Amino acid sequence: MSEARVPSQPATPPDPQPARRRHKWTMVVDLDRCTGCQACVVACQAENNIPLNTEAIYLQYRVIEWIRIERYWEKHGEEVRARYIPLLCQQCDNAPCEPVCPVYATYHNVEGLNVQVYNRCVGTRYCANNCPYHARFFNFWQPVWPSTLENQLNPDVTVRWRGIMEKCTFCIQRIRRAQREAAQEGRSLQDGDVVPACVQACPTDALSFGDILDPNSRVSRLAKDKRAYTVLKELGTGPNVIYLAKVDPYAPAPKKHDHH
Amino acid sequence: MEITRRDLLKLAGVGLLGAIAFQGCRIPERELRVESPVALPEDLVTGRDNWYATLCQQCGAGCGILVRVMEGRAKKVEGNPDHPLNRGKTCARGQAAVQALYHPDRLATPLLRGQPVDWEAAVAELASQIRQNRGRVFLATNPLRGHVAAVAQAFVQSAGGTLMAYEPLEDTVLRAAVKRLSGQDVLPDYDIANARTVFSFGAGWLETWGSPVRWSWAYGVFRQGRPGERGMFIHADPRFSLTAANADLWLPVRPGAEGVLALAVAYVLIEQGMASRDAADRLTAGRGLAALAAYQPEVVAAQVGVPPQRIREAATLFGARRPSVAMVGGSALAHTNGLFTAMAVLSLNALVDSVGRDGGVRFNPPPPLGLPSIPAAPFARWRQALEEMRAGRVGLLIVRGANLSYGLPAEAAEALPGVPFRVFIGPIADDTAQGCDLLLPEADPLEAWGTDAPEPGPGFATLTFQQPVVRPFRQGMSFGDVLLEAGRAAGLTLPWANMQEAVRDGARRLFALGRGSVRAGDEAAFFTGVLQRGGWWDTQERGQGTLRPEPAPATPPAPRFAGEEGEFPFHLIPFTPLGIYDGRGAPLPWLQGLPDGTTTVAWQTWVEIHPAQAEPLGIREGDWVEVISPRGSIRALAYLHPAIPQGVVAVPVGFGHVGMGRWAHRRGSNVFSILAPLTDTETGALAWAATRVRLRRLGQRQRVPKFEGVVLPLQLEERPIIPVVKEA
Amino acid sequence: MGLGKRIRIVFLLGGGMGASLLGLAFLVLVAPRVVAHYSWSVERLFRQAPAQPIAFSHKTHAGDAQIPCLFCHRGAAVEEAAGIPSLQECMFCHRLIVGTTEAQQAEIRKVIEAFGKERPVQWVRVFRLPDHARFVHEAHIRAGFTCADCHGAVETMREVRQVHRSLKMGDCVGCHRQHGAPTDCATCHY
Repeated sequence: MSEARVPSQPATPPDPQPARRRHKWTMVVDLDRCTGCQACVVACQAENNIPLNTEAIYLQYRVIEWIRIERYWEKHGEEVRARYIPLLCQQCDNAPCEPVCPVYATYHNVEGLNVQVYNRCVGTRYCANNCPYHARFFNFWQPVWPSTLENQLNPDVTVRWRGIMEKCTFCIQRIRRAQREAAQEGRSLQDGDVVPACVQACPTDALSFGDILDPNSRVSRLAKDKRAYTVLKELGTGPNVIYLAKVDPYAPAPKKHDHH
Repeated sequence: MEITRRDLLKLAGVGLLGAIAFQGCRIPERELRVESPVALPEDLVTGRDNWYATLCQQCGAGCGILVRVMEGRAKKVEGNPDHPLNRGKTCARGQAAVQALYHPDRLATPLLRGQPVDWEAAVAELASQIRQNRGRVFLATNPLRGHVAAVAQAFVQSAGGTLMAYEPLEDTVLRAAVKRLSGQDVLPDYDIANARTVFSFGAGWLETWGSPVRWSWAYGVFRQGRPGERGMFIHADPRFSLTAANADLWLPVRPGAEGVLALAVAYVLIEQGMASRDAADRLTAGRGLAALAAYQPEVVAAQVGVPPQRIREAATLFGARRPSVAMVGGSALAHTNGLFTAMAVLSLNALVDSVGRDGGVRFNPPPPLGLPSIPAAPFARWRQALEEMRAGRVGLLIVRGANLSYGLPAEAAEALPGVPFRVFIGPIADDTAQGCDLLLPEADPLEAWGTDAPEPGPGFATLTFQQPVVRPFRQGMSFGDVLLEAGRAAGLTLPWANMQEAVRDGARRLFALGRGSVRAGDEAAFFTGVLQRGGWWDTQERGQGTLRPEPAPATPPAPRFAGEEGEFPFHLIPFTPLGIYDGRGAPLPWLQGLPDGTTTVAWQTWVEIHPAQAEPLGIREGDWVEVISPRGSIRALAYLHPAIPQGVVAVPVGFGHVGMGRWAHRRGSNVFSILAPLTDTETGALAWAATRVRLRRLGQRQRVPKFEGVVLPLQLEERPIIPVVKEA
Repeated sequence: MGLGKRIRIVFLLGGGMGASLLGLAFLVLVAPRVVAHYSWSVERLFRQAPAQPIAFSHKTHAGDAQIPCLFCHRGAAVEEAAGIPSLQECMFCHRLIVGTTEAQQAEIRKVIEAFGKERPVQWVRVFRLPDHARFVHEAHIRAGFTCADCHGAVETMREVRQVHRSLKMGDCVGCHRQHGAPTDCATCHY
């Protein structure tokens, strides 16, 4: 299994792009499939070492949920309906959070991800202030896990200290792992190699993830669906999360039709 | 004061010494330690994960899961993609399973009369008690399946005594209806993925009822998994549950009137000629539509609480868009006329000819290898059993997974002290454990061996294999192992020495069948194969059966409620929250901290009340309210729910425990303590939705711990966050 | 001296004392921390190798006996962490090799004892990156680098110490730039 590899000659510079093409990571959320069951919420908390949301934190409205289910009410006369939407960091192409960080702790990388660099963050919270999707969460308190629960923490994900901003990373640790495995096997990433925690847990397959630059990927196909839209499109943030509108055969005719 | 050059140099020297001193304090010592493990198998590499297949036991469904293990620690649960029940998916409760394994309040050692003892002494004590109480042993458990059920049965048979399973929100009525109409003992599956219309009554099948992960996966296919075909979902429920929120058509049926609604639908089906002749004849005893005159939609609309045109619309959809399937459960069956309702709804399937077909009701075969299934015994039988205990006729009570003091607080409080020796087996001491003589720490499901034949199954024979994925974190022993070890020490005749042997034996017998999803050259390879895949199933061994409706009663049995309407104006509908379920999720902070499906409240017991009914009582959100029934009262935080029908209030179950760890202890209120002991007239199951209540402001207020903000989140018509289209 | 002048002198003296006290506080409390923070790794270059619980000599094993690095530090070729070998691996040889000199025998006895008593050995880390930096050994081995490129000529060391590379971020980024590896923050910080 282990081989001797201590060559005596100097290393040759490696190929910087070995069998690797550019990616643009995209998530598609089908709102007609989403039931609001919150399996994605707990899966994300388990995968990403999210601090425990105690009652005290709830009472201060500082709950940290990188992916959250928002429930909106719709009133049509006497009838009331509930609509569910999973909201997470949209990894915007034109992110409002990026230009305002005074220490450049958040930036857009070549894979289309909005990266949060924990060690640079000094906690001004300007980025969270600017985010129209409320996708950024600040560690107002030092995360504490009663000792035995620390055994569950994921070693692939940095545990954040007090005073650091955090948000959904599209499970970048899983992206990196998949890239490493593909490189080890000498092939490029296939559609379905990278599965973030929320996507993997979702029982209804409402969440899909992949590379939109790959014309054969599931997300490329779903992005062309006639129900596709992005949230708060009018703000021009350029999100990389595409939603498929909810279908309701009993919905009253909309007054204005301005979201496509 | 003057500082001389000498002083300055001295100070600089101190500073330099300080610099050197502080160097050592810079990085904590423990970060500079790295360990050589004593032994590391060849295939285990530091930082690399291994995945093991096992069984999820966070609810009664029994999904197959894969657990990610790194350096001997379980990190993450994912669904097992191979498993035919849940197909690689999990729910919020399954995801939280690792928190149960590493819960800080897990019992560390056995406790004998409050004193820690080692396992040897504990087993010896239990064995001695078994010997002294032959013939008077009572084993109270959760509903059991698989090899552990076989062990429990063998134990009780040899020791002499009773084995009864307990579940606070039992499925007795549904089982009785299935048995009556089809002769089957096993619950059927509903093929939602192939159906065009789903009509459910009360069952929270997208939340916690039945096999929620399986049916949620099917729902995804049902909605958008078939190009050009989008399923239609109708749900009848007295409360606006998460399941109701996802329905295209929600019928806010009055509590207890679900059966009448179902027969009103049947009336329309027969009237419009959409019903199967044979089934219609059975339902009407050959007398045709006249036999159902009492169920004409126009006649029952007021009683049912749904306008007649809505009933007709739902019935027409159900009859015309086939295949269609009808399901019933939850609060619909929690009435004194529960069995009537269950049979009425199940009969609808027969009327639209969807029994035993794709897109309809699919029967499941009996569990493989003749393994027993021990469903919950009805409430009425439990009251009798507790009475026996009170009278001192039980010498030894062993409780595991049956929180009697929580579900039957008054009866248990009186009865349990009548048992001279009580044993509790569980990971964390719960309500029933208080006052037990011997507490035995139970191994977490991720640390234990076992098997499970899921019910409802996927329509064919399935046996999931459960294996330990980590070494025991606390000194726990699995339930089956406790029975086997203590039983053997007491001289009982038991089929296996321990659960691992039992599971191995099961694999051996499956191998001998020579069929199914795992094939191998020899037993050992077969066992490895089965463990790797997470179980064994045989898609050729399918369930068979038919549903034969019984004649509908000329007048429907009216539901009885506890409390007069004048004094107790509201129907109380208890429900299971997404995370906490029936209370078993209460110890886990991830589940306590999970916002409720429709209200987003967490961490506290709340009562859902319609704003128009809260106002005259002077109740605003955040008011502490007393919910008073004829049996007692509890406190809850008021939440003004825009969608709950008037005349109904809803309170979640699962709170108000004594024990169950730091996140559950004395948090919230126990709804079971105020439920009246009304039962279904035919089966004796608890009619837990039959209690009426009134509300009273207590005068204290606080902020409600909820996820949503302070402004009512109404979608703006001009700019919806979630645009809605009429067609797929 | 007039009262006003006295007050002025008191103010000046007080201000001066305050300033020097502040300067003192800075010297004693803040400066050492700043120095320590920036010079930890660099400082390590000049520190003696830390004393280990067992005097394991890489010179004997990797040098004289020519055992390849990856034989013990298996993870380097496949995973993020190179890993420290288990005592079981030591016992492969040391079941039989008990040492020739007194000193050798004493150290080897420590290993055998630890294995027998199932007590893991707690080494003192020499190469350590902070938690917020992820270093993947496997990617660098795949790129063609040798262990000695960062760890130095370990096979010549009786006691391991960090030499010739500070392993601070500038060091890593410089090497990445030189060899065309990604300098995206999210390569290592996530």
